[in-house]
Amino acid sequence: MVDVREDILARLLEVVASIPNLRSAQRNNVDIPEDQLPAGIVFDGDEETADASDATMRPPNRPTLVTMTPEIVIAQQSDEAGSDITTLRRELIKRVLTDTELNEQIVKTGRHGNGAIRYLGCQTDVGWMRSLHGALRAQFAFKYTLKPDEL
Amino acid sequence: MAVDYSALLYDPVYGELGVPAMFVAAGTAGEATITVIDDTRPKSLMAGSAEVRSVGPGAFARIPELIENGIARADYVDATLSFNGRSWIVRSYELRGSPNGEDLGEVRFLLKEAASTDG
Repeated sequence: MVDVREDILARLLEVVASIPNLRSAQRNNVDIPEDQLPAGIVFDGDEETADASDATMRPPNRPTLVTMTPEIVIAQQSDEAGSDITTLRRELIKRVLTDTELNEQIVKTGRHGNGAIRYLGCQTDVGWMRSLHGALRAQFAFKYTLKPDEL
Repeated sequence: MAVDYSALLYDPVYGELGVPAMFVAAGTAGEATITVIDDTRPKSLMAGSAEVRSVGPGAFARIPELIENGIARADYVDATLSFNGRSWIVRSYELRGSPNGEDLGEVRFLLKEAASTDG
């Protein structure tokens, strides 16, 4: 059994957990108390294929390309929340796009296959709580081959 | 107006709920002891799909008492306010006028942690 989607999300959590100075790294947790900050949360992403417009008669179990777009939230609370978030964002993007396991073993980008990893962008939010709170939502696209016979 | 809100409302309320607080205006060594009502509330903010939970610290004080202690409106922001075992910085404030007039009402200090955690 090979579930590339799950492999990507599980490895993403490991990559997020490796970011220096994060106090917690979690997956799909929507309820974060302040003592877990700075926190990184990996949210399972939506998936899309181009198969809706596929007019060929190919068998349904043939491999197809899937693009998954998970979201990663970085949240911090401190007087320097802005610069803290900037530093954590830099580490996040660098680690996701250069992670050898994600690129070469799971998604198979470049010469390893026809997969791809792209940084799509981010949005930020700020507000006051006990101190200044900052959050960043970053989206990545993972294009990989879905092989129904291997699921 | 026949009703004295300071005597009939604020005095008994602050007498029951008020706690002593040390007010130190920014850049000064002078300090004043005033009475505040702790108004720290739970607060959460959305971070995408996640909800981050913390508190929104705040405190009420009576404007006449502040004036008696020589504390003007310009002294509010960046002052240090210590009460109930914690020290806070006044990051902003909102005035709560009374039916007897703004100068006889309250101010709600919006606070932030004085020594911010790094986490």
